[in-house]
Amino acid sequence: MKDEQEMVLTDPSSPSSPEDVSRRKFLQTGVFGACAIYIGAIGYPVFRYLNSPVEASQLASAVKEVTLDKANELAVGTAFMFKFGTSPALLIHHADGSWVAMSAVCTHMGCTVKFDEGAKKITCACHGGVFDAATGENISGPPPRPLERYDVKVNDASVVVTKIS
Amino acid sequence: MNYPVWDVPGVGGPWVIGIISIFHVLIAWFAVGGGIYLPYAERKLYREGREEWLPVLKKHSRMFLVLTGVFGAVSGVGIWFAIGLVQPEATSTLIHNFVFGWAIEWVFFVIELAAAAVYYYTWDRIPRELHLKVGWLYAISSFLTLVIINGILSFMMTPSQAWLNVAGTGTEASQFWAAFFNPTYFPSLFMRTLACLSLAGIYALITYGRVTDEALQATRTVMVRWSAKWLIPMALLLPVGLGWMYVTMEPESREIMSLGFSTIGSGLFTQVTRISMMTVLTTVTVAGAVYFFAFLFPRDLTAGHAFALLGLAAIATSSTEYARETIRKPYVIQEHMYSNSIRMNEVEKYNTEGYLVNSKWNPPQMEPVAKGEAMFRGQCMSCHTRSGYRSMERLLQKRDRKAIDQLLQTLHDFEPDSPYRKYMPPLVGTQDERDSLAVYLEKLSLGKTEPALALNAAR
Amino acid sequence: MKLETLKADLVERLGLEEAIKLAGKKTVPVHKHTFWYFWGGISLFSFLIQVVTGILLMVYYRPGPEAYESVRQITYQIQFGWLIRSVHNWSANFFLFSVFVHMFSVFLMKAYRRPREVGWYSGIALLLLGLTFGFSGYLLPMDELSFFATKVGMEIPNAIPIIGPPIANLLRGGLEVNEFTVQRFFALHVVILPLLYMPLLGLHLWMVQKHGNAAPPSEEAKEPSQRKTMPFFPNFVAQDLGVWLIVLNLISLLAALFPWQLGPQADPLAAAPEGIHPEWYFMSQFAMLKLIGRVIPGLAGEAAAMTLFTLGLVLWAMIPVFDKDKTNTKRSRQVLYFGIFVILVLLSTTFMGFVI
Repeated sequence: MKDEQEMVLTDPSSPSSPEDVSRRKFLQTGVFGACAIYIGAIGYPVFRYLNSPVEASQLASAVKEVTLDKANELAVGTAFMFKFGTSPALLIHHADGSWVAMSAVCTHMGCTVKFDEGAKKITCACHGGVFDAATGENISGPPPRPLERYDVKVNDASVVVTKIS
Repeated sequence: MNYPVWDVPGVGGPWVIGIISIFHVLIAWFAVGGGIYLPYAERKLYREGREEWLPVLKKHSRMFLVLTGVFGAVSGVGIWFAIGLVQPEATSTLIHNFVFGWAIEWVFFVIELAAAAVYYYTWDRIPRELHLKVGWLYAISSFLTLVIINGILSFMMTPSQAWLNVAGTGTEASQFWAAFFNPTYFPSLFMRTLACLSLAGIYALITYGRVTDEALQATRTVMVRWSAKWLIPMALLLPVGLGWMYVTMEPESREIMSLGFSTIGSGLFTQVTRISMMTVLTTVTVAGAVYFFAFLFPRDLTAGHAFALLGLAAIATSSTEYARETIRKPYVIQEHMYSNSIRMNEVEKYNTEGYLVNSKWNPPQMEPVAKGEAMFRGQCMSCHTRSGYRSMERLLQKRDRKAIDQLLQTLHDFEPDSPYRKYMPPLVGTQDERDSLAVYLEKLSLGKTEPALALNAAR
Repeated sequence: MKLETLKADLVERLGLEEAIKLAGKKTVPVHKHTFWYFWGGISLFSFLIQVVTGILLMVYYRPGPEAYESVRQITYQIQFGWLIRSVHNWSANFFLFSVFVHMFSVFLMKAYRRPREVGWYSGIALLLLGLTFGFSGYLLPMDELSFFATKVGMEIPNAIPIIGPPIANLLRGGLEVNEFTVQRFFALHVVILPLLYMPLLGLHLWMVQKHGNAAPPSEEAKEPSQRKTMPFFPNFVAQDLGVWLIVLNLISLLAALFPWQLGPQADPLAAAPEGIHPEWYFMSQFAMLKLIGRVIPGLAGEAAAMTLFTLGLVLWAMIPVFDKDKTNTKRSRQVLYFGIFVILVLLSTTFMGFVI
């Protein structure tokens, strides 16, 4: 009891006994730990924020071309989903025989879009966005921009999709 | 649907449960943690001869009795009322399964209440040793109520495979123990115990913050420091508890958490991740604020500071509960019953026979709009409101009939890659019923419906 | 080199002894209104958050015709951009709110009396600059809401007789809100206002250090032996840090729960969305302009309203001249009633602004 009383009366920053020193050490560790969590919680988003364009350009430079084996056998009037780098993309073989490839990431909030065979439109289930299946143009709903188009080359064994630079 | 729908405008039914529960939990956890705090402090008093602690502890035990015995008990009953009205089907399932569990909890609860009263009124009236024993009796019985209710609460998160295998056969109670000691039972108990101990420290600071007597200042200073240390277990073991929870969760729940991490940039369906981050941040803030307000300069602590700490604890608690509720989506009982009271094994029947014909409390003949509203009340209103919380008016803004049809089709198909699947139950019912719902939703999106008017007109 | 010697060296080279001595001497009165002393610190802290998040936003923000697109990128494409932007918005609101609370608590505790007049005057100037920060910042995303809110908000300077319209046009860089407006509001928001704000803030903080916190009259009336104080450093600073932690937590909670949305791009030709109004901190003036406009229509009404604002503001700023001394005279009571009247008017007109 005497011990505790003294601790109160004296300045907490001047340890009086060895027990107090270890206690202070322990507390200091705790405070540093809390600070570390805070710095991490603030620093991580800030780093990712500043690093964002770096990540984006790394992603973009990583994959410029994708070869889809046997995709040339895709039936007329149907579509095929594939990964372009890390993001989903759509390859459509239109009824008129033309081939179109575009990103399947909705330009509104990033949901994956779907080819609607019946209506010949590309639709986004999240917020009801609709795109033109031939051009990727945004027709209705909230999307602000058209879908990103890719170049398509069809040969005997595969389909090659290339980023338009 | 065997029960009528309780239509709560504005906040919606779930928040009625939510508000009462958060209030209740803040007191109930104190009832458990404070129940350990009091006899532990009393034991220290006797062993170390700290007689000056006595008046302060008496004061604390009075607040303890009033808070837990009155507000804790009453709000606990309030939860019963609320869940019975908002989620009758799930409540019924829980009762069928755990009726004996609740009976046992009730026994401990009665012992707890009696012990708390005896403890407060017999300070200095019975031998000290006996008084301390009453305190420990309280501590044990109140901890046992947590031990039991924790089994029922964690059951809804992870009902265990053994129970799911017999679900719907009428012999569910045979798997009582598997359901009770389910996969998340122990991590949940661990986390809740930590929270109870932290709250015990914070509530003690409230009592000590209100001690203004000059003569007691030195004592108060010692006790404030001692109480601040009750938060150390939480501060140190929180990551352990969270990690333990994470590995025992259902894979689907884990997926929802990581979904939030990967799409956090686009701000889509990420509430649960954001809220879980808040839990961690707020808990660290509580620890930091206790350090600055109480530990560093205990003399300067006031009741206001202590109430601010309690407010922070309330934020941490509600964030955690919110995250828990969201992770459980689209179920109310994981893998068994969807949030809108539809059992997984009934989906087929509703799709072929129709949802409304299988729902009591609806007139047999209805106009399309009334039918749509009945569908809305039955299948949407357990989470959405018309124009308040998660308002359909707002969510459907600028969507024409075609977009609504498409949305309902996506919800009905319930494809594995549907973005809604992780949060929303499938939409059930025949094509006609779903079309009626679309008619109703279109009116809602244009702001053309008077609440409940259409349904009343049909009667 | 050891950390301790480095610390000692720094203290010596920077002449920090003076500052430490001053901080050590300062005490904070302890009484039942001590809580209100935190609000100056809260304002300062949320201002610091503004500076940090503001600089971060400037990394990606592009004023001019691309303003909307750049904010859209920040919100939806840049990792954690939504967080930085939401924190900036929420702490801006929190900043103005705490400045108001700080001002009224200073007023009601009569902390503007001798020798603290300069603190009061600089505080009023900081509030006006803060409001301008808010007004100029609100337009920068150039979405529908900010476009029309700025358009309506411009009615306030526009209502000044004769010189009003040219001032409004000059501010806008045109007859309507356009891309030039964004450009100059941006310059105002990130260069001119901070340049004015920082030295004033320095003066304001220096005044607080110099004269310390004022005790309210109820406390002044007590015997000196009855009054309680605590050292500013380290005791009050520790509590300030605790409060700052809580504020940081609240702001991140708001940003996490209610991330700031971005509306559709501003379209000058589109009809204004229904119920468009300025931010809450301009609501009172906006409502008064509307109300007076109903009684006295046309230019005369606008002139009357503007005269009323200016008069009220000047009166409010000049309070220390009228109520100077520590004695509790009739004058000081009149000032108190005036203050309560002002608070009531501001609250009720703000409320009306949201309803009418």
